[in-house]
Amino acid sequence: MALPRQNSSRQTWRRNQNTVKFSSNISLGPISHTVLIAVMLAVLGMIYLTQITKTSTYGYQLNDLSAKQQQLASQNRDLEVESAKLQALEKVQQSSVANAMTSPASTDFAHTN
Amino acid sequence: MVRLFYLQVVMHGYYESEADKEHTSKFTIAAKRGLIYAHDGTSGYAPLVLNEPVYTVFADPRYVKNPDQVADAMRKIAGGNILNNFEDGLRDKTKEYVVLARNVSEDQANLIKQQKLSDQGIGLQQESKRVYPEDQLAAQVLGFVNGEGQGQYGIEEGMNAQLAGKDGQLKAVTDVHGIPISVGSQSVQTPAQDGKNVVLTIDRNVQNKAEQALAAGLKNAKATKGSVVVMDPNNGHILAMANAPTYNPNDFSKVTDYSVFQNRAISDPYEPGSVIKALTMGVGLNENRIQPNTTYNNVGYVKVDDAIIKNVETEPKGTVTMTQVLQYSFNTGVVWVLKQLGDGSDTITMAGKQMLYNYYTKHYLFGQPTGIELAGEVSGIVPQPTASNVQYANMTFGQGINISMLQVMGAFSADINGGTYYTPQVVDGYRDNTNNFTSKAGTIRESNVINPTASAKLRQMLHDAREGSPANAGEKAGYYIGGKTGTAQVYNPKLGQYDPVATIGSYLGFGGQDKPQYVIMVRVDDATVGGFAGTSAAAPIFTDISNWMLDYLQIAPKG
Repeated sequence: MALPRQNSSRQTWRRNQNTVKFSSNISLGPISHTVLIAVMLAVLGMIYLTQITKTSTYGYQLNDLSAKQQQLASQNRDLEVESAKLQALEKVQQSSVANAMTSPASTDFAHTN
Repeated sequence: MVRLFYLQVVMHGYYESEADKEHTSKFTIAAKRGLIYAHDGTSGYAPLVLNEPVYTVFADPRYVKNPDQVADAMRKIAGGNILNNFEDGLRDKTKEYVVLARNVSEDQANLIKQQKLSDQGIGLQQESKRVYPEDQLAAQVLGFVNGEGQGQYGIEEGMNAQLAGKDGQLKAVTDVHGIPISVGSQSVQTPAQDGKNVVLTIDRNVQNKAEQALAAGLKNAKATKGSVVVMDPNNGHILAMANAPTYNPNDFSKVTDYSVFQNRAISDPYEPGSVIKALTMGVGLNENRIQPNTTYNNVGYVKVDDAIIKNVETEPKGTVTMTQVLQYSFNTGVVWVLKQLGDGSDTITMAGKQMLYNYYTKHYLFGQPTGIELAGEVSGIVPQPTASNVQYANMTFGQGINISMLQVMGAFSADINGGTYYTPQVVDGYRDNTNNFTSKAGTIRESNVINPTASAKLRQMLHDAREGSPANAGEKAGYYIGGKTGTAQVYNPKLGQYDPVATIGSYLGFGGQDKPQYVIMVRVDDATVGGFAGTSAAAPIFTDISNWMLDYLQIAPKG
């Protein structure tokens, strides 16, 4: 049996299609649109400010880390200087270990040829 | 509307730059001055010059609420580093910047920070200070860095540009306290180019030995001034360069006698005396005018024009070989060599003088700097062949010319190494921040100073001459050591002639087993010990260092 023809100007239903239809009675006027746009702009502004603040915060963190790095580098240089002074020849020669050393009486060489 | 257009469009650039000035700042990123290392035997490198972070403490007196409290804290923390009258500065409210202390250490700076003195207008400015951990070791080779950050004397001045590097710059957006707060398109950073870390050819152990031997030798000779240079004749590397009296570069500002800053081995030309006889013999050998056993008749003096030139040693007379000329240091012998350089007649000729001049200036490179990397090297003076015959006769034994120790050593090294003049160098290479070493290539300035055969003959003559002279007293047996003494008269400008008393003693020699492995030159200026200064004052210092070098280089004696 042939299906009845559907009128194009009316709602038509197909098989397995949800036949329940909701429709809103609320409609937005010009004031609502303005408020909505203002809110959206405010949100975007907040997001922008958050990002900027975050950049600034990173800037401070970077500055702190840079200062710490410089301080550690300074300490490292200090220790290098201290180490070099302790290993200076004059210091070593005046050490108790060096003072306890004696010169060899003679040096012998083994000739291999 | 027109005004708005003018401000926003026409003047846009101007106001943008004005705004940038308000919230951006420029910071200088200081380049780190390069460090200087010496060799430490075969075990690596030893730092001779380092940078130490130090702080300058300053105050803005307008913000100092309690000057007494600040002064007390400064005295306790920075005691020895505070400046005189710093309290007056603290109380002077008309000033915005007053320095309270300099060269404050990292620990002291931390204590100042803990005291929270910044609330009272006290600030810290980090700087870098040169530190010489070995104190006076190689002081004249190193030099120092003055208050303006400029190298003075030595390698610090000679290589100032390479050591200093180039400062960088940071332009950044800052907060109200001037602290950079972001890194972005408005922040421009030009990184600093740190100075090069230089590795010297100096071996700190050889340097230390040279300085100790010089000090002991001067004491024995009752002298106060002298210099020693130790060099590798096979590549021109300076292993040690010592001067006495000396100073500590850490305390250069306390020095009152500025002459101690000078490296006299390169900056103080002198008439080296008889050590030059070795070089004159080199000319004769290379020109095939003499051989080691060539003889002449020594009568103790020689007449040149209207002057009589005498020998110092009166014996032996009669038939004397060229080797004996070096052994007894006969002036008449080298004047005879000069005559042979001419037409072979018994006179000094223009041709002979021209040849000697050519050798001195074109082969031995006297009269021009050697090219060492140190500041303050002199050229010296070699008289033209048009000078009198007497002056040229004097030049054959090292009088009448002015040359530095290093010039003599460069020529002597070439004469005994087979004939190659290596540019004396004190920079071995560079170390980067990951301690990778890049060698600096040496240069050959003359490749045929004398031929290898003449060089070998001269070595043997110098060895035999030393063996037969008192200069070898105390020498270790079994090694191939050669050398020549020199006791030069000193020209006295006040008298207008040579000083009747003062002499400068020198010793120039080499050591090794089969080939020379080191050349040592010693100069003693004011020996009062008696005898000829070359033999009594300079030679013992040579022998002391030479004996030590044989052990240090682990050279076995001939079996």
